Amino acid sequence: MTTPTLPEVKLPTLRDLLARAHLRLILFAVALATASLVLSGVMVIRSYAQRNLDLVARTVAYTVEPAVVFEDKEAIRDGIVSVAAARGVDRVEVRDRQGQLLAHWQSPRIGSLAALSQPANAFVFPNPAVSQVRRGPETIAEVRIYGDSEGLVRYTLAGTIIALACLALTVMATRILARRLQSEVVLPLEHVAEVAHAVRRDRAFEKRVPSSGIAEIDRFGRDFNALLAELQGWHAGLTSENAELARRATHDNLTGLGNRQLFDQHLGEMIAQSQRTGAPFALIYLDVDQFKSINDGYGHDAGDAALIAVAERLRSAIRHVDQAFRLGGDEFAVVLAPFFNQAHVDGVIDRIRLAMEQSYRLPNGMAVTSMLSVGVAIFPEHADSAEALVKKADMAMYKDKQGRQGPPENGALSNA
Amino acid sequence: MRSFLPLALALSANSVTPPISGLAGMPLGTAAPGESAYAGATARTVKAVIDYTRWPQRHDPLVLCVAGPVLHAARLGGIRLADGRQVERRNVVPLVQALGGCHVLYIGQVPISSQRQLTAAVRGKGVLTIAEADPAGTSEAVVSLTYQPGALSFRLNIDAISRSGLRIDPRVLRISQGGA
Repeated sequence: MTTPTLPEVKLPTLRDLLARAHLRLILFAVALATASLVLSGVMVIRSYAQRNLDLVARTVAYTVEPAVVFEDKEAIRDGIVSVAAARGVDRVEVRDRQGQLLAHWQSPRIGSLAALSQPANAFVFPNPAVSQVRRGPETIAEVRIYGDSEGLVRYTLAGTIIALACLALTVMATRILARRLQSEVVLPLEHVAEVAHAVRRDRAFEKRVPSSGIAEIDRFGRDFNALLAELQGWHAGLTSENAELARRATHDNLTGLGNRQLFDQHLGEMIAQSQRTGAPFALIYLDVDQFKSINDGYGHDAGDAALIAVAERLRSAIRHVDQAFRLGGDEFAVVLAPFFNQAHVDGVIDRIRLAMEQSYRLPNGMAVTSMLSVGVAIFPEHADSAEALVKKADMAMYKDKQGRQGPPENGALSNA
Repeated sequence: MRSFLPLALALSANSVTPPISGLAGMPLGTAAPGESAYAGATARTVKAVIDYTRWPQRHDPLVLCVAGPVLHAARLGGIRLADGRQVERRNVVPLVQALGGCHVLYIGQVPISSQRQLTAAVRGKGVLTIAEADPAGTSEAVVSLTYQPGALSFRLNIDAISRSGLRIDPRVLRISQGGA
């Protein structure tokens, strides 16, 4: 598995490495075993062959002794043949005291290995086996036997062929071994790699490496899983923190309603949607009557309590498809979802007014009721842009405030 | 030693070589003027046969009796064996009564019936009989010399050996005519 973003570098796989290491080891072992076996075999066989030659020489000397005494060359030759004409003997010579050749015998040198063994004879048996033919105290002739290395050559050849066969077998065994090792070692590692890759690519922190049958890899997998669990925790924490931060950036801390930034964004979206679908929607501007006098008269805590109370009532009065915002100070806005007639808008406004009639408690224990000035603008009926719509709603609210209370500065606080 | 002969036969039966053309037997060597061309070969053959023969008792010197007129026995005197013993040549008349003290009996040119009488007389008494004039091998002597052009061979009579009371090295049997 290679990372798609990295350039392809041909790295050796673990299986290749294992197979190569095995192959080298086995080649070395087989070569060593073969060499030592063949070498020691050759030495043993050679020493036996040499002893055999000595024995044959003594036997020939014994056998041909009367023939030498009777000076019968044919009988000498017969004697040689009867004893020495066997495997492992290449040439037999019987010479008299003066070194004159009395009789000799030469192996027929036939057979598939003769061509190989003939040059090897002088190397394997550099000296002939020699035995004296004695009659009484004196030596009357000498027997020389030259060895034939055919048996040795055959053994060496057979050893080499067997070694090659063993090599072929072991090479096959190496491949099987490497394959098995791959499934035992490489597959667990590949699981880890797959999980790491999935985590990196898909942020799949919940993935875990399955346990493997090898202690080291199992330990590695467990540590890897523990690391993944930590990463998962960190990732979850970061995600929730980010969400909280994002929420705080777009919401009013005091009331929990969306702030002006979110309002602008939401209004833009609503206009775009309305332009697309043709369905009108309404923007309601709201302002708390006599908020300034609450703030100034009872302190900021009281002002905050008033704002929180207004926000709660707004939230409870609108439908879940509508959105309420605090634009700043005591100014609120509600964006109503698309509607089909004016009655829907009036219904929402009536519910808001009704909700505001319920009193709430200031921090000093005083129960008060706040009233709202309300201005409505409908898109696209009253305006064709966000700015114009806001202006229209603001103006309508201002008009409502004036119509209901007269000059705003003189508004009375209504006690419940 | 009863196993001696069967062993010899077994040895000869073991031989795998086909007969090879060429001179078989003992080469003659040079002859002194006036004597038989076979004299030297005869002496060497007789010496070799004696060398490979064991008597029930060791005789020193060994007495070689030459019976009757001979053609090739000129060099039989003064033979010295491989173990150093001397062979004493004694010329005797070819009669049964004349054979006392002989260890080897060399029978010369006498009729085959006389040869048989002589061999019968020493049968079982430890005497090695050698016949010079028995080409057909009917004298019942232990050794019959066969004179061929240019070579001297000999024939061993296995029946005679077994009755002679002597032991002959089985290797010699293979060298004898028909042995191998």
